[in-house]
Formats: sequence, C-alpha cells, structure tokens
Amino acid sequence: MTVLTVVTDSPEGRHALAAGVQEATLLGVDLLVANLTLGALDVSALPPDLRVTIVERHGGGDRDPVRAVLDEVADHPDVDRLVICVRRRSPVGKVLLGSVSQQLLLDSPVPVLAVKIPS
Amino acid sequence: MTTHDTTPSSERPALPPDTRGPHSQRLGLIVVVATFGGLLFGYDTGVINGALEPLKRDLGLTAFTEGFVVSILIFGAAAGAIVGGYLSDRRGRRHNILMLAVIFMIGTIGCVLAPSWPVLALFRFILGLAVGGASATVPVYLAEVAPVERRGGLVTRNEVMIVSGQFAAFVINAVIFNVWGEVDWIWRVMLIVALLPAVALFVGMLRMPESPRWLVAQGRDDEALAVLKQVRTDERAEAEMDEVHRLADEEAASKTAGTTDLSVRWIRRLILIGAGLGIFQQFTGINSIMYYGTQLLGDAGFSDSAAIIANTLNGLFSVLGILVGLALINRIDRRRMLIGGFALTTTFHLLVGLSALLLPDGTAKAYFILVFVVAFVFCMQGTIGPLVWLILSEMFPLKIRSLAIGISVLVLWLANALVALAFPPVVEAIGISSTFFIFVALGLAALVFVHRTVPETRGRSLEELEAQFRRDYA
Repeated sequence: MTVLTVVTDSPEGRHALAAGVQEATLLGVDLLVANLTLGALDVSALPPDLRVTIVERHGGGDRDPVRAVLDEVADHPDVDRLVICVRRRSPVGKVLLGSVSQQLLLDSPVPVLAVKIPS
Repeated sequence: MTTHDTTPSSERPALPPDTRGPHSQRLGLIVVVATFGGLLFGYDTGVINGALEPLKRDLGLTAFTEGFVVSILIFGAAAGAIVGGYLSDRRGRRHNILMLAVIFMIGTIGCVLAPSWPVLALFRFILGLAVGGASATVPVYLAEVAPVERRGGLVTRNEVMIVSGQFAAFVINAVIFNVWGEVDWIWRVMLIVALLPAVALFVGMLRMPESPRWLVAQGRDDEALAVLKQVRTDERAEAEMDEVHRLADEEAASKTAGTTDLSVRWIRRLILIGAGLGIFQQFTGINSIMYYGTQLLGDAGFSDSAAIIANTLNGLFSVLGILVGLALINRIDRRRMLIGGFALTTTFHLLVGLSALLLPDGTAKAYFILVFVVAFVFCMQGTIGPLVWLILSEMFPLKIRSLAIGISVLVLWLANALVALAFPPVVEAIGISSTFFIFVALGLAALVFVHRTVPETRGRSLEELEAQFRRDYA
C-alpha cells in the first residue's frame, strides 16, 4: 500500500506534500512523491521514519503532467490513494492552461484525496 | 517518469585526451562541410543587400513590396527554425542538412528566375525555411560531433561563418555591380552565386556521418560508436560512449516541460525575459543594416557604385566585431557587457540620426554616417549579438529549456522580420534621422529592460539561478 502525492511548483504543491505525508503516516504506509516542479524537491524536512520515493518527470513523454501522474499510478499497482491540493481557478485560466487537478480527479483509477489550503 | 537518483551527477570519469591523428582530419572536414550551412545562412540573408537597387528597378518594387520581399525570407526562417528543429530530432541531423541543401538550391534557382515580385517572394520564403532550418540544425550537429574540449569553439565557428557569409555576399555584390555595370537584371547574377555553397554543402554532407548523439537517442549504439571511431581515437571513442549517453539523456530531459508549466509564474517570467532579449537584440536594427545597408548609404549621399563598396565595410566590421566579442565574452560579466553594448549601439544610433539631421548634404555627411553605422555594427556584433544567444543557452532550467529557447528564438526571428518589413517604408516616410531616433528610443528601452530584468548567468549554476528566480518572481 502506498500513497501518491502530486507536488506542483506552488503553495498548493507544498500543501499537497504535507497532506501526503500526513495521510501516509496515518495509514502507516510508504509515500510516493510525483515531482511536477521543474527543479529538485527538498524532502529533508520530512519525518525520517517515513519511506519516501520521489519520481521525476523526464523527457517528452512526461510533458503532460496529468499523463505523467496517471502513468505513475499504472506503474505502481500498490498505489491506492492519490493526494492533491486544489484551488479555485478562473474559467479563462482553465480554458487557457487546463486544470491538472480536475483531470486527475476525473481520470484517476484510485480514490483521490483533494485538500485545500485553509483560508 | 524516472525514480529519483540521489547521487550527484558531477562525478564523471575523466576522458582520455583527444590526441591528434587521422581522425582529426576527418573531424576538421566535417566542420568545414557543416559550416557551409552557416555560410549559406549568411550569404542568403546578406545577398539582398546590394542586389536590392537593381532588383527594385527591374521588378518595380515600392517601399512596401521591397520590405515584403526582404522580410518574407525571415518569416520563412521563423517557420523553418521550428519545423527544422522538429525534423532534425525525428529524421536525424545529417538527413536534415542534406534536405536543407536541396531547399537552398530550389529557393536560389526560383529567386534567380522569378519573373515578378510575388514569385520572388514565394521563393524567398522557401529560402527562409532553409535558413531557419540551418540555424536550428547546424550548431546542434557541430556540438554533437565535436569532442567536449572543442565544443564551444566549433559552434562559435558557425557564428563566424554566418557573418562571413554576409560579408562574402557584400563583397561579391560590390564586384559584380562595379564590373558588369548597372544592368537591371544583374541582381539575378548576384543571387545565383549562392548556388555554389549549396551544392558544396549537399555533396559534402553526402559523405559525412550522422551525429553520434542522435544515433544514441534512437537506440542505435553500434552505429554511434562507429561514427565516434571516425572522429576520435579508438580508445577515446569507447570511453566517450557513456558521455554521449549522458548528453542524450540530458537532451531528452530538456524536452520535459510543456505549455502547462507556463502556469508557474517565475517560469513564465523567465521565458518573457528570454523573448525580450530576442526582441531587443533585433530592435537594435542590426539587420536593417545587413539587408538595407547599401541603400542606406546611398540615401546618406554615396553614389550607387560607391555605396555598394562602402557597404562591404559593414560586412567586414560585422566579422571583426564577432571575433572581438567571442574573445571577450567569457572575461566580462554578461549583464555588464550587455548594458555596455546597448549603451554603445544607442550612442551610435544617436550619432547617425544627428549626422543625417544636422550635416549639410555632401560627401562629409555620407562619410560621417558610414563611420557611425560601421561603429554600430562592430559594437553590436561584439556584444549583444553573440551574448543574447549565450544567455539564452544558460538561463533556463534544464527541464523547460527546449520549449523556452524555442519560444525565445521564434520571437527573435519575428522581431527580425518585423524590422526588415518596416524599415523601407519607415525610412521613406520619415527619413533616416527620425528612423534612427526610433532605434535610440528602443535602445533606451532595452537598457531599462536589461538593467531591471536580465539575470547574471556567468559563473553561476542553474540551481543558484533557479533559487534566485523563485525568490524574485514567485
């Protein structure tokens, strides 16, 4: 059993990482982190007893972040929960750039835990 | 996706030195042949400068159709850079350069035989596709064939070949114009000369190997090793395969991010800065001199045959500028050199404008304008010209580099085309002096832009840069 959390380059991404850690700790399982940012992810501050594996996007096949995450779910049959952080998006923004969260919510084969940054 | 690798990638085994031998000659030949692509790039963009006067009379061009015929090659280059980059990844560098050589030939012959300006424009667009394709393929091919110690130098050689191609076009045009006189169809003779390097590129490239890095990226390791053994010692070739794999992997990584990643503010901001660099490099008007220099000098007061000779100085100082610039480029901080460059070019724009405005018509005025234009060309090619390309290659995070450079280069070509399109009608409408005062205003805007936004990339790692961008723009 593993929790997969999706980390983007935003406050939501950091919150998703925290929520993923919490969920994995709660369930007592390993954490898989999909790094959607374009840089390295700092995981030094995570609890030392939690087993964390980071997967990076690599190459044109991972260009679409939604596909990259869903491929990861398919590759890891032990993943049975997806943790994401959602935020309100303007309709124009969604049309222009799409909504990663919305597609993950609709297309994920495993249950999705969608958290929000407390206002 | 790939699982995280925690070992630092900087620990690489040292390669055996690249000793000289029969393979060095082979590599030298490859460089000479491939840089014919750069030479053609320069020749085909420069040849219009000098051919334009007889061409205008022969085909009855107005200021607008003149700008159209000149700039459509650059619009073609913008399209060619995108398509060429894509095709060179799909079909291979060698295949792409061969195809480009054929397009260079078709475009040249079509332009030479064009009975009217719309036909000329069509074939100049086709020629532009080849120019853009060459700009996207030749430096990549050279970098992938060269040993790591000589990589920078060989890629630089292509840049020198581009301006040398322009210089060669200016000189050959001046000779043809002054020897065979003012026959209106003389421009066709000027244009057909470009067929020679295109044929040389095609014939030469037939005997050149494919890029080893591209072969590795296709999973064709045996062929890649065979190519490496042609251009390295056997020992070095074996040792270098790991390096080639690493670089192929890095290149794949550079294509990771796509348009979705533009939702991140600091990345969007960084790409805007890259695009801004491309725009301001072209808004110095360097290519208005490279395409319309002869006409400009004619307007300044030179006779037609003197203007075309004086214009060769633009080509000469363009080459000298690049050579000086490349010698300085790693000794001075990028920002300092860029700001210094824009300060110099803007000053010379101002001096050209003031000379055109204040001096009485005559030989003295013509020579003053010539000196200031040549000084502008020298300063531009010695600083902003090569620097912008270098900064673009350094400033983006690896994972989005391919997309970010693609966008910046596209914008750069479009800005180039816009200046080429607008220059003749603007000069006709408001004169040389006011046109150069517009360049002064654009130069001042460039100074503010560079001072406020462009990051210093010299001697800094990508991680440091990224941390700064996040801090500044997030």
